[in-house]
Amino acid sequence: MDWSAALIAAVALPAAAAAIGLAWKSRAGRVRTVRSAGRTGDEAAAPTTADASRGLGVATEAFGESATLVQFSTAYCSRCPATARELASIAHDYVGVRHVEVDLTHRPDIADRFRVLQTPTTLILDARGATTARIAGVPRSNEVRDRLDELTGRTRVPA
Amino acid sequence: MSQPEPAGIDPRGPRFTAGITAVLLLVVAVLGFGGADLAAWLLLAALAALFAWGAFAGVRRHPFGLLFKRFVRPRLSPPDELEDPRPPTFAQGVGFAVTVVGVLLGAIGLPLAVPIAASLAFVAAFLNAVFGYCLGCQLYLLLVRARVIPRT
Repeated sequence: MDWSAALIAAVALPAAAAAIGLAWKSRAGRVRTVRSAGRTGDEAAAPTTADASRGLGVATEAFGESATLVQFSTAYCSRCPATARELASIAHDYVGVRHVEVDLTHRPDIADRFRVLQTPTTLILDARGATTARIAGVPRSNEVRDRLDELTGRTRVPA
Repeated sequence: MSQPEPAGIDPRGPRFTAGITAVLLLVVAVLGFGGADLAAWLLLAALAALFAWGAFAGVRRHPFGLLFKRFVRPRLSPPDELEDPRPPTFAQGVGFAVTVVGVLLGAIGLPLAVPIAASLAFVAAFLNAVFGYCLGCQLYLLLVRARVIPRT
């Protein structure tokens, strides 16, 4: 038995896993601004609600007048149902904001078009249906609300 | 595949299972890197069998899950919400795939494959147990995008 190799493995593996976990935790759920909003390009190839509707396979009526939270999910995503409830409840607090859930389980084409690498991934669309922000992982609610405040142009009454 | 949704499970069950599994996988890695090849191989084979059990019989029938249900859950307050058992069941399948490769390569004379496979599975189990992050579940979308999972 090589005790030094065993000891290194016993220390390094948990340390590496903890480092990965902390790095993931610090990034997950942040609202990231999509600068190419409105321009053509796969992720933001949605200058109009009609384009967004076609690209996402969602009826135009499902979009909000001011903003739309588009959540990508799959049937095998453990965090998606809770995320859907939270985003729906946030959208409910705003006039003109809707939450739409897109199931990618059988739609790899949509996953490719929007370059989704993990679920839940959420896009924040503006009134025109252009992608203004993107969230990978379970969204941070306060950051989503801040962004919606900007898009709807109103100050929120603190709950 | 996505037919009627099965009854929910306590989300702490899979994390409890992942915790025990992570400790055992770390033992495999330590034994394997330390040169105790046979012991590491035997334990990894047992863990691969447990993963297979969870993947094919469903995560609710996993032995560690039953342990949680019998001895741990009665001592906890009820969960805030129940979780779909399909993601953790799928993740058990991913764990099985990774560990069984280690077992097979170990059996044909590549002993180092055993602790390497155990290390990979350990990281995934550790992230699940400690951070509640299901790496195996994330793999599902990538398999969809790779067209490995057929479009129906």
